[in-house]
Amino acid sequence: MLIPHPLLGLRDAQEFSYLGDASLLLRPDGMAENAAETFFPYVYLRENPAGLHRELWFHEQGDRSWLVVTRNTVTHEILGAELAGDVVARNRASRDGGDLA
Amino acid sequence: MPDLEPITALGSNAPRSLSSGSLTLEENAALALASVSLRRNAPKPSPFGLDLPGPGGWTGSQGVSAFWTGPGQWMIEGHHRADSDFAVEVATSCPGCSVTEQTDGFAAFEIRSSMGEKPILRLMEKLVNIDASRLSAGSATRTGLEHMSVFVIRRAPDRVAVLGMRSAAGSIWHALEVAILRLNAAAA
Repeated sequence: MLIPHPLLGLRDAQEFSYLGDASLLLRPDGMAENAAETFFPYVYLRENPAGLHRELWFHEQGDRSWLVVTRNTVTHEILGAELAGDVVARNRASRDGGDLA
Repeated sequence: MPDLEPITALGSNAPRSLSSGSLTLEENAALALASVSLRRNAPKPSPFGLDLPGPGGWTGSQGVSAFWTGPGQWMIEGHHRADSDFAVEVATSCPGCSVTEQTDGFAAFEIRSSMGEKPILRLMEKLVNIDASRLSAGSATRTGLEHMSVFVIRRAPDRVAVLGMRSAAGSIWHALEVAILRLNAAAA
C-alpha cells in the first residue's frame, strides 16, 4: 500500500503507523459545562464505516508528520492525504462549520 | 587524568571500511551533526551561507551541508568536524532557532561507486523501500532499513550516505556489508 505524502510523494505504508479515526482532531473543550457528555463519545464512540474513512497516520520512519488519509476500508484504495496540521488550521478557521471539512 | 582513547561508532580506533567490486563502504567518523528547527513564525536561517533545502532535499558547499528532515527542520552536516563543538557554530549562525547537537546520536556510512551510478541504484533497490531513480543527487530522505530508521542521502550520482542510530551502528554496517557482498557475488 502506498500513501501519497503531501510533501514527499508516494511512500510505503510500512513507514507509517496508524492511529485511528481523524475525528480525534476535533477534541472537545475540557473546560465547558458539558465536558463529561462531549468527552464520552470523543473517547469511546467510533464510526465503523464500510467505505470512505478519514484516519490519522503518523510518518514514523519518515518526516514524523501526522497525516489525515482518506481510505476506502472495503477496497483499501487511498484517495488522498494531507497534513493533519493543515486540517486543524482549516477547522480553526471555520470552527462554526464544526465538521471535518 | 585517565588516559582515554576515542573510539568510533563501530568500536575501533580507526573508521572501518570495506571494498567489494565497484563499491566502497566507509564508516564516516568525522561527520559532525546538528539539527535546526524553526520556532513559530521565525524566518528561515541560512547557516554557513547554505540555502536550506525544501522537502526531500540535500545541499552542500565548502565542507558543510544540510538536508530537510521535517517541516521547518533540517540537519546540518559538518564534514571533518566531529571533534569540534559544531552545534555551537550552527547555533551562532541560526539566531532564534532551536539547535541540538546530534553528532553522538548518529553513525554515518558513506558508499561510493567507481563505476557510475548503476551499482548505487542496484544497491539501494536491495536496501530501502524508496524509488532509487527518483532519489537523485541532492536528495535525502528518512526511511526504514531492516526495521531501523535511517536517513539516506544521495550526495552525488555515484555516492550515497546512510545515517542511522549510533547504538545500532553494528547492525547497519552488517546490513550494508551483506547487501554489497551479495550484489557483487550475484554479478560475478
